[in-house]
Amino acid sequence: MPVPGHVGSDYDRIRPEFRVIQNPFTPDERVMLVPAIRPDIALVHALAAAADGTLLLDHMEDDALLAQASRVVIASAERIVPVEDLRKAPEGTVLEGIHVTGVVEIPGGAHPTLVRGAYEADAKHLEEYVAAARDDATFAEYLARHVYGRGGP
Amino acid sequence: MSGYTTHELMAAVIAREVLDGETVAVGTLAPVPACGVLLAHLSHAPQARVVILNHPDYWPFRGGSKEFYDFAQRGGFDLFFLSGGQIDRHGNLNLIGVGDPARPRVRFPGGAGAAMLYYVAGRVVVFRAEHSPKVFVPRVDTVTSPGSTPSDVRRRGGPSKVVTPLCTFRFDRDRRILVVTSLHPGVDRTELARRTGFPPEYEPTITVTPEPTPNELTLLRTRVREAVAKTYPRYAEHAFGR
Repeated sequence: MPVPGHVGSDYDRIRPEFRVIQNPFTPDERVMLVPAIRPDIALVHALAAAADGTLLLDHMEDDALLAQASRVVIASAERIVPVEDLRKAPEGTVLEGIHVTGVVEIPGGAHPTLVRGAYEADAKHLEEYVAAARDDATFAEYLARHVYGRGGP
Repeated sequence: MSGYTTHELMAAVIAREVLDGETVAVGTLAPVPACGVLLAHLSHAPQARVVILNHPDYWPFRGGSKEFYDFAQRGGFDLFFLSGGQIDRHGNLNLIGVGDPARPRVRFPGGAGAAMLYYVAGRVVVFRAEHSPKVFVPRVDTVTSPGSTPSDVRRRGGPSKVVTPLCTFRFDRDRRILVVTSLHPGVDRTELARRTGFPPEYEPTITVTPEPTPNELTLLRTRVREAVAKTYPRYAEHAFGR
């Protein structure tokens, strides 16, 4: 798809999959094209979800777009509710269940990041993550403690 | 010792770039312009339409960042703000990394969004809270956002100013270079030359940057700080004077 800008930068050199063509509508202009990103799997976290896969997503995030682009979409949700409740929700964006492969209820599932209106980011935990991510050994420890372990956050 | 912080001075300088009635947007990792735009909005530009990425009160889109980018590409923004890991005298920005982009010695956050916004916004004010020869280099290692472009590329806007802790540059479109238009209070040409990786060129009409007024400082330390804390809580703790 076409993307404005870029032409005249080094992007055509550092990203060979980006192409520059003559604009077919205004042939005296060059324009950059980029291939669409097609993820195999998307993981998104919803404010709420229904059993049929319909999601209520934060309208400030790009989760709906990500889900529509991906082949398999696994959604975690703060809570599972009847689909009518999602359609009446005053906040958020509804994504239809046709885009969603599976749903799982995980309250607090965005931790250590935030869910707007529900809980804040866990700054202390994020600092621990940043420190741990500096080398492989400490990161493996982090994963053992918080991801593979059963202690919870 | 002056009665304001460097961040407050930069915010006041940026605020003066905002004209009343304009549609102005601030992207991610940009607390200094967020403060400047909010200061303008609360003082001389009450009719400005303000967009701040990731801010719950200044995000007039329902369709994620796609809607924001579509709006930008349509030419919706009169003024936008960008920064660079490296910035050179031709207004080129490098947001990829230091050294060979395939194996960077230092990795920057990435520049594909900036490579578009530098062209489609009416004016872009470049900001950087660090002014050193590492940042202001003779030639960026990789150009992710060029200051100027060949004539067969559609470009609505481009760099207008560069605001740093030491000075304000204006982008001279004819000469395609940055020219110092004002030095901040207490900064002289010797210091600027020492802390800039290229010999700075000066406007003949160079001035001293006006200090923030008492009213601006009051607004910055109350309503602006409060609003910015919703997106940048840590920044709001240290950037402002008392």
